[in-house]
Amino acid sequence: MSVVSTAHLQYGLGPRLAALARVVELGHGRLDPALLTDGGQLLLRAGDRLKLSAEHTVVALAGGTGSGKSSLFNAVSGLELSPIGVRRPTTARTHACVWGLDGAGPLLDWLQIQWRHRFARASALDKGESRLHGLILLDLPDHDSIRALTDPEADRLIQVADLVVWVLDPQKYADASVHRRYVAELTGHDAVTVFVLNQADRLTPEERAECVADLEDLLRREGVTVPRVVATSTTTGMGIDDLKAVLAESVAARRAAYQRLEADLDRLMARLTKEMPDVPRVDPTVDDVRRGGLTDALCDAVGVSALGEAMENVYGVRSADWVGWPFARWAAKLRPDPASSLRLGGVKDDIRELVGSSVSAQPAEVDNAVHALADGLAAGMPQVWRQGVLEAARSRSADLPGALTNELAEAAPPLNRVPAWWWLLKIWQYLLVVMFAAGLGWAGAVLAYGVFEVGRPPAAVLGDVGVLPWVGLMLLSVVGLGLLTGLASRNFVVLEAGKERERLELDMRRRVGGVAHDMVITPVEGELNRYNEFYGALGAARR
Amino acid sequence: MKSAARKTPDHTPARSAAGAVTEESAIEEPGVQEFGVQEPGVQESAAEESAIEEQPENPGEQTAVFPAIGDGGPVPMRPVLPRPDLPPAPAPSPAPPEAERDRDVGGDGADGTDGDEITVGDEVASGEIAAGDEASEAETAGAETASTEATVGETADDETTAGDEVAAEDVASSGDAEAGRRVREMPLPEPVSEALTNALNQLRGAVKGLHFGLDVPGAQEARKAQSAVLAQLDDYVIPRVHMSTAPALVAVAGSTGAGKSTLVNTLAGQQVSRTGVRRPTTSIPVLVCHPDDRDWYATGDLLAGVTRLAEPAGDTASGSVVLVPAPRLPQGVALLDTPDIDSVVEEHHDVAHRMLDAADLWVFVTTAARYADAPSWGLLRRAKERGARLVIVLSRVPKRSREVIVKHFGRMLDEYGLGEVERFVINETAVGEGRLPEAEIAELRLWLAELSIDDERRTAAVQATLNGVLNSFRARLPALARHLETQVALRADLRSDVDAAFTGALTEIDEATRNGSLLRGEVLARWQDFAGSGDLMRTLQLRRGAKGHHHGPERMRALKGALRAGLESLIASAIQRAAEDVVARWRQRAGAGDRLAATPGLGRPADDVVRRTARTITAWQEHVTELIRTEGVTKRSVAKVVSFDADSLSLIFMVGLLGYGPTDVTAGDGKGALPQRMLRGLLGAESLRSISAKARSDLRARVGLLFDEETLRYVDALDSVGIPDEAAATRLYQATYNLEVAR
Repeated sequence: MSVVSTAHLQYGLGPRLAALARVVELGHGRLDPALLTDGGQLLLRAGDRLKLSAEHTVVALAGGTGSGKSSLFNAVSGLELSPIGVRRPTTARTHACVWGLDGAGPLLDWLQIQWRHRFARASALDKGESRLHGLILLDLPDHDSIRALTDPEADRLIQVADLVVWVLDPQKYADASVHRRYVAELTGHDAVTVFVLNQADRLTPEERAECVADLEDLLRREGVTVPRVVATSTTTGMGIDDLKAVLAESVAARRAAYQRLEADLDRLMARLTKEMPDVPRVDPTVDDVRRGGLTDALCDAVGVSALGEAMENVYGVRSADWVGWPFARWAAKLRPDPASSLRLGGVKDDIRELVGSSVSAQPAEVDNAVHALADGLAAGMPQVWRQGVLEAARSRSADLPGALTNELAEAAPPLNRVPAWWWLLKIWQYLLVVMFAAGLGWAGAVLAYGVFEVGRPPAAVLGDVGVLPWVGLMLLSVVGLGLLTGLASRNFVVLEAGKERERLELDMRRRVGGVAHDMVITPVEGELNRYNEFYGALGAARR
Repeated sequence: MKSAARKTPDHTPARSAAGAVTEESAIEEPGVQEFGVQEPGVQESAAEESAIEEQPENPGEQTAVFPAIGDGGPVPMRPVLPRPDLPPAPAPSPAPPEAERDRDVGGDGADGTDGDEITVGDEVASGEIAAGDEASEAETAGAETASTEATVGETADDETTAGDEVAAEDVASSGDAEAGRRVREMPLPEPVSEALTNALNQLRGAVKGLHFGLDVPGAQEARKAQSAVLAQLDDYVIPRVHMSTAPALVAVAGSTGAGKSTLVNTLAGQQVSRTGVRRPTTSIPVLVCHPDDRDWYATGDLLAGVTRLAEPAGDTASGSVVLVPAPRLPQGVALLDTPDIDSVVEEHHDVAHRMLDAADLWVFVTTAARYADAPSWGLLRRAKERGARLVIVLSRVPKRSREVIVKHFGRMLDEYGLGEVERFVINETAVGEGRLPEAEIAELRLWLAELSIDDERRTAAVQATLNGVLNSFRARLPALARHLETQVALRADLRSDVDAAFTGALTEIDEATRNGSLLRGEVLARWQDFAGSGDLMRTLQLRRGAKGHHHGPERMRALKGALRAGLESLIASAIQRAAEDVVARWRQRAGAGDRLAATPGLGRPADDVVRRTARTITAWQEHVTELIRTEGVTKRSVAKVVSFDADSLSLIFMVGLLGYGPTDVTAGDGKGALPQRMLRGLLGAESLRSISAKARSDLRARVGLLFDEETLRYVDALDSVGIPDEAAATRLYQATYNLEVAR
């Protein structure tokens, strides 16, 4: 396994694959399912391949029917292993020839090569073949015959082989079945793709040169930057050694498996990063301005400031019943009431009940506030992620109005609350009224006994006319005191209500902010973190 | 394995050619049937036989015989030499002993490695095309029966009849069919021709009128099929209906590198089409004809939509054809060298298919290395579907394995139901100056000459292909119509998605204005303020001693503002949800909906929706005030005592209507919610109920109008991809039917 780990270090494949795993994990629901599937498959394949023998290089001979894959297979292996024939298609099952058998078993199992189609070259015995030690040569079925339409064998092995040798021939080298389906799909695989122009003996040297040049042109047009083309002939043996040399080079380097996986990874990453967003990284925390904006909007939805104003007004009005000057109140009661003339019944009770009802949040406004936050945060993100942020913000949207209502119901005092000092003042006012009545009685008694002398005063003080001015003064001051108290306490109530309102609004804002944090900000920040992590992993996997 | 039980009927095929009697007998070997080796100038007949194979894995044992070609003249009889019998063992040589020795990976027995391998491949192939096997046998039988008495030329017709799937319902009686076709060879009577032309023109109009705007899966194919049908109508069918006896166009088609151009050059006797090792070689189709026919092809209606060129002018000229006269070609037959059907240059495939659609006969060229390629069989399938007269040329066959290859290919064709198609084999030889040795193609030249001389036969072939094309319309046109119907249905679905989303939004608003959820938050606080601070009661003024001064208009304004803001946000939220809903629903729809949903701005409300909402609400509030003013006639008993301010009252009314719901309106005196009770006291239950109903329906109507404007954006997006014409499908069906009637 030491080879594997050094190779990991050397080519950085391990961390990139780990990052890809993270991308696949985080991208669920955010990426095209086809891309996710491909990513998952690549991870699986890479995991499998890296676990298996690093000493071996799997080379697949692929090509159309009749291009001479089996002949080439036999020529390279030097044995008549794979049947060749003139009828098309000839090969239906993959044949494998292994140079150096140790540890190749599991790899061949993984490649799903049938036992009876496995052959081994004891490379030590073959002179000059030791350089191919570690080669697993596969002779694939064709991919373009009518048989291949129902048999994905060739397709499967082309995807998993470490090195693919495309066996082309002068007749078929420009077939769409090779180029459109595979070569154009495998751009970036230059290092692990070799093209063989087989049956070169059918061409004159000039034609051969033209053909090779044309093929190279074609490949370059398709994105193969450095096409490796070897002209071979199995009849004359031409070029076979060149091909062997190319294979030996790859086999000796023991890198084809990593290069192949890297190329696959590069290709997948190119697809994944095709639409990189303008902002690959966002602030993972919701800033204070946005937080404040959300709180403000939610406060509006609850009507915090309106509530404060209402409290101030309603307290002011209601306090008149408690701390106001009783005489003014009685005077007002004497005025005719339109409600009673309309026989509206307990409208006053209704109003009292209404005023006593607690605050609540309006769902539509809450929804709009949450949406505005998500919209502002996700600006510049790709559409799926915007949707993701919105969904995260709305994840507890259904409970939010209820939660706000509950939270604020604790904070907001009912508008029909009666503070204790209102009672005291009421008692004081009535005390003054009683004193006024007593003063009136006294003054009356003095008048009756002292001035009109209707009888003997029960007490001297009741008959003493001299106290009359004092009693009058007392009456005046009692009334004045009541009036003053009424006015003063009214002002006091308003002042108090103003203070209360400030305190209340602060408290409510704090509570709204808390609810917003728990139910909106936290899920949104989770999504923002996921976004950052996803694009971070994408960047890491891209290298 | 070798002792496959087979049916080998002993028959001596004999037939009479016109004038001279030619007798030949194919020597049959039990086990292996002979493949006719065709020598130049030798007329040859062969029995056609589809042997029943019980062990299909035994390769190379099925008969495949090229049908005979007669040149009409007496030809020296010559029996076909029997080939040295191959042992029935599979062709590939068994694995050499080294394989055995070295096979230490697979512990399995080495037996049958080779044979089994091939077998599997064959089985797959045969499984695929075995369906046509039985039919082909029956057809073969029919063809045989007929061939015993038919002329050589007619034999060819028989082949067509049998090969043409659609027309081959009654193959056994192909003799009768023969007679029927001869009648049809005559020029069409004027009214019939006119009816046919009219039907075709109508059909053309109907096909042209199809529009596939939505990118549902299959739309691309449908558009392609549409343009193919149109091109075929213009290039081929409409001209051909008039001039069935005019020169026949023979298209040479096949894979890249199969040697199409080489074949055409050889037949033309001169270099008319470029050949070479570069693939793909031919990019512009080349039409080669006898100099006498040149004018006809240069100005004729056939391939009317294609530009004629004197010589190739670069690769860019698509939709053009090079016209070359060649004296070596017989009159009345033109060859069309087409681009390939399977190279990397995909435009070539389309050009090739267009040329094939306009051809009277197809010469399908394949090679020993290619005959199992999927694209080749795709072309054969197309030929079968279109009912085109087909000739198959198997080129580049190595001499030493000719036997095996020809037999195997023949068997594949048999299994595919194309067993009776005329076949020619060309050996692999050195190609000089882009031409084959004359001897290799003598047979084919003979066949061409035959076609040129024998007007009857040529006309029959042309008619057969024309019929085949018209028959193929039976399937192709309804398929187009069906796709259009899919488009219409999908559009309706997408439209109903929009409606469903916005209907849902309207219901949501209805619900929110009935269940009291509007009377929350700021609206509630302002309402509490308004009622609790006594302003509510102060809106009522006693007439007696009314002072007329107004308390707290700012509180009233605040309540009004809050109510409007509440309504606005309710509508804004509903529209936002509806917009998201539409996009989500569209994304569920395959293909097209997804693309439409990606139209920018559809996932959110329109930019000016806030302004329009505000205008809507203001207008409604004014309307309600107006209603209260005009219809809110105070009860007479009340009016004496109390006066009220319409603005305040309408505000109270709105709070009652939207905040408390309409349920209380009908409740008795002294019951129900506060605003309703007040208003009922003032206006009377009857009047209140009527105003409530009016106000609510007015709100609904106004919001509905607002939503309609929003809906329009989605409908515009839908329309931008084109509106499929629902009647077009019907017209197409009608035109197809008319065509059938006219035939």
